[in-house]
Amino acid sequence: MRTEKVGIVGVGHTKFGKRADATIRELAHEAVKPALEDAGINIGDIDTSVIGVAADEFAAQLSSGVLIHDYVGMKDKPTFRVEAACATGSAAVRAGWALIKSGLAEVVLVVGAETMTHVGTLRATELMARAQDTRWEYPFGLTFPSSYALMATAHMHKFGTTREQLSLVSVKNHTYGAMNPYAHLQKSITLEEAMKSIMICYPLNLYDCCLISDGAAAIILATEEKARKISDTPIWLIGLGAASDTMMISERESLTELKATRVAAEKAYKMARITPDDVDVATVHDCFTIAEIVAYEDLGFCQKGEGGKFIEEKQSYIGGKVPINTDGGLKSKGHPLGATGVSMTIEITKQLRGEAGKRQLNGAEIGLSHNIGETGQYCFVHVYSR
Amino acid sequence: MKFGYVSWLPETDFMARFVEELEKNKLMGTRCKGCGARYLPPRAHCRCGSVEMEWFEASRKGKILAYTLVTFPPESMSKNSPYIMAVAELEDGLRLLAQLTGVAVKNLKIGMSVRVTSHRTPESRVVYRFETS
Ligand SMILES: [Zn+2]
Repeated sequence: MRTEKVGIVGVGHTKFGKRADATIRELAHEAVKPALEDAGINIGDIDTSVIGVAADEFAAQLSSGVLIHDYVGMKDKPTFRVEAACATGSAAVRAGWALIKSGLAEVVLVVGAETMTHVGTLRATELMARAQDTRWEYPFGLTFPSSYALMATAHMHKFGTTREQLSLVSVKNHTYGAMNPYAHLQKSITLEEAMKSIMICYPLNLYDCCLISDGAAAIILATEEKARKISDTPIWLIGLGAASDTMMISERESLTELKATRVAAEKAYKMARITPDDVDVATVHDCFTIAEIVAYEDLGFCQKGEGGKFIEEKQSYIGGKVPINTDGGLKSKGHPLGATGVSMTIEITKQLRGEAGKRQLNGAEIGLSHNIGETGQYCFVHVYSR
Repeated sequence: MKFGYVSWLPETDFMARFVEELEKNKLMGTRCKGCGARYLPPRAHCRCGSVEMEWFEASRKGKILAYTLVTFPPESMSKNSPYIMAVAELEDGLRLLAQLTGVAVKNLKIGMSVRVTSHRTPESRVVYRFETS
């Protein structure tokens, strides 16, 4: 295996939101074009693509991978599609990294995309529920909000985490989402608004739940040699960790952690030769507010059980111990399944390059992205450096 | 398949056997004859790779580990909403997810004792559920 690094040399992002003006192909194009411009290369300079789309049911299109690949101008070149539920985008980044490290490609386009809003919320909840065990858990009415709500009641019981602390995560992510021109819901909210919103699955109310969105994100990866030629500011992928867990939530060893996060993070930290204390900025999987609190703990940013206190003390704000989800997170930026992981990589790239606009933090050297598929069935952690 | 409030899966002999016992109010798991691993809900194959599995009757008493009230159900469960979902740890150490009846949400507490009972829905489907005891 090659010992050289893999660099990110171009990024492109669509506006996330209700995008009735485009289908998945146009959204993908809208992300790929600025990624190529950012890198200053042409589509012909790309060797291969990896496409992340989570669910055929949403796009009503099977094999949307090659559809996107052809539409952006890459016909005749190799491609494949990656799926890992809500972590599809990060799985695609991992696959792109592996293609380069294996020597099969020197420049890789990674695209994540999803169109979800046209099916309606009830239907979207139904389709996503089928990503859980369809023999033993889906048939009882388990939804994604309810899976995380089970974790929330267990966490509240064991550690005294409060509904107010959950809402504080939402307030933070909306604070930053309001500064992100690509976010779905660009508005800040008050703690009172968050706490009084309609209950979805006790203790999670509407503002504890991420948005259902349309959107796409694209990055271009290159070998170290090519990256240095293409870009003056390559961002390096220096650590990758991944793990999985039981399909059934009832089989988990613990309901107050996502073990896959702990395992994936350990691997990523080890590969990058860093500790959690070295992380200057992170994007973590906040599909529900409890997920962000659990992620603080499982990634090692605070002790187990102290995630609630971590947000209460504003340790995950810019200026705190580790600024987290400075792009608004899934909560405010939106969560088009396949696009999310790639979008996380883009936020870290921008923060490390110093291009994050109003939400830019000072002097970040090391970044981390953490992307969960389902309720911790999949986890991908990537570590980045300037 | 007639197991669960809703399902899109075809009936298999394995599931038919499980449901047949459940209708007699027996909660059946499987045990691996090779490594001894126990599974509830049951599996036809062990994670160790073995296909030599035997049925055993699981405990139907346990305590709640986590719960939620689903007020926003998936499309297919709309007519059943709202409903309480819970994960319980049974006396033999195995865990199960099911709906919970017989208690108001405000009286629900983690650690509360529950029994697993068999229940036939109005659509003649078969489920297990937790009842407070
Ligand atoms: Zn075995």
